[in-house]
Amino acid sequence: MKIVLDRPRCEGHGLCEEAAPQLMHLDDDGELVLDREEVEGADAALANAAARVCPVAALRVG
Amino acid sequence: MSGRTMDRVVVVGNGIAGLTAADTLREAGFDGELTVVGDEPHPAYSRPALSKALLLDGDDMTSHELPPTGHGAKELLGVRATGLDLDRRLVALDDGTTLPYDRLVLATGSRARRLSDLPEEITLRGLDDALALRSRLASRPSVVVVGGGPLGMEIASGCLAAGCRVTLVSQGPPLILQLGAHLADVFVKAALDRGLTIVETEAARFERRGGEARVVLDDGTVLEAELLLSSVGDVPNTEWLADTGLVARGAVPVDSRGLVRPEVAAVGDLAAFPTPQGLRRIPLWSSAIEQAKAAARALVHGDDAPPLRFQPYFWTEQFGLNLKAVGHLPLEGEPTYVDGEPGGGPALMRWPHADGTGAAVALDYRVPIPRLRRMTRAVA
Repeated sequence: MKIVLDRPRCEGHGLCEEAAPQLMHLDDDGELVLDREEVEGADAALANAAARVCPVAALRVG
Repeated sequence: MSGRTMDRVVVVGNGIAGLTAADTLREAGFDGELTVVGDEPHPAYSRPALSKALLLDGDDMTSHELPPTGHGAKELLGVRATGLDLDRRLVALDDGTTLPYDRLVLATGSRARRLSDLPEEITLRGLDDALALRSRLASRPSVVVVGGGPLGMEIASGCLAAGCRVTLVSQGPPLILQLGAHLADVFVKAALDRGLTIVETEAARFERRGGEARVVLDDGTVLEAELLLSSVGDVPNTEWLADTGLVARGAVPVDSRGLVRPEVAAVGDLAAFPTPQGLRRIPLWSSAIEQAKAAARALVHGDDAPPLRFQPYFWTEQFGLNLKAVGHLPLEGEPTYVDGEPGGGPALMRWPHADGTGAAVALDYRVPIPRLRRMTRAVA
């Protein structure tokens, strides 16, 4: 599974980071950085949880 | 697991609160039969997007779409709960069936408060409302929006951006009750610059006269427009719980873990939970998520689950401005400018509280939200 970020949509709310801090974080400029893009198993579930709390639908896992 | 067997969990409500509760139940180890009941025919979607990107984005109709669910629940969509029997542990549905449960999550949210029963009074709460409003805006009707809160202002902003002439009716200056005077002033200036007409009044009502609907203010002023909208707050959907004794002052009071009793949780817009300001509803996206996580864990782990502790996170986009705020609103008095300066330009601000903590606000300012959250803590 791969995490895909739709960067123009991302508004930096950071709810994804709160759901999956192991996989992504906002940098000093508030831009989202995917620390891992390929995820399997428990990490894929975590990535999905992060994608589902994004209020602007900027993350896809597939 | 606490106490009795936990084979069947029913989540009533399929907004972000119900969805997060279902996800978190699975994360917490519940592997039994999970059923989610949603009264809308749509899968769960992002409600904040409805009055923001979905109204504005040209051809992009996907800004509200959430990824497919992974909780493996049986989803009953387009079905409404009509009653609850706490003793027999049964949820009654409007298709005539009942659902037995061992644990139950109440997450039926709230609906738009209305000022009349006139069909001409349009509200924006659900996806169907947003899609209908979008299509109405295509012909650039003249618009009156009654309600000067964040949603009313977002709607007014979207209508202006669509090319409509827009009048906003507000009890006192817009946003002042929700954001405080300092920030309200910034947004009102931006709104006026973009051509919004703001009318302040003590009260407004909708009426029909000569076949035409219109808005009448307390001083008798009549406002007519092709499109009449109201955004005057929300009403929790608690009618189906009327016989349960769980409803107080129109909401469902819960404990610090989101429970109303050991086997029943209430999360999202219908729940009033303990805050530093007492029992309160905080009908925000991030609030629904945090409430749902805490309550789902409590249903599975009982008192071993940590209580709800969070700082509300609020954002709005309107009239070209973007605001992110962590902490309890409204914000009284003047802020400290951590970066930027007064005047409405990009700025990072902090409102100190007496106990040393504070509320942190980013206006047109990209900042990692964890930093915003850190800014709310007490300074040494």
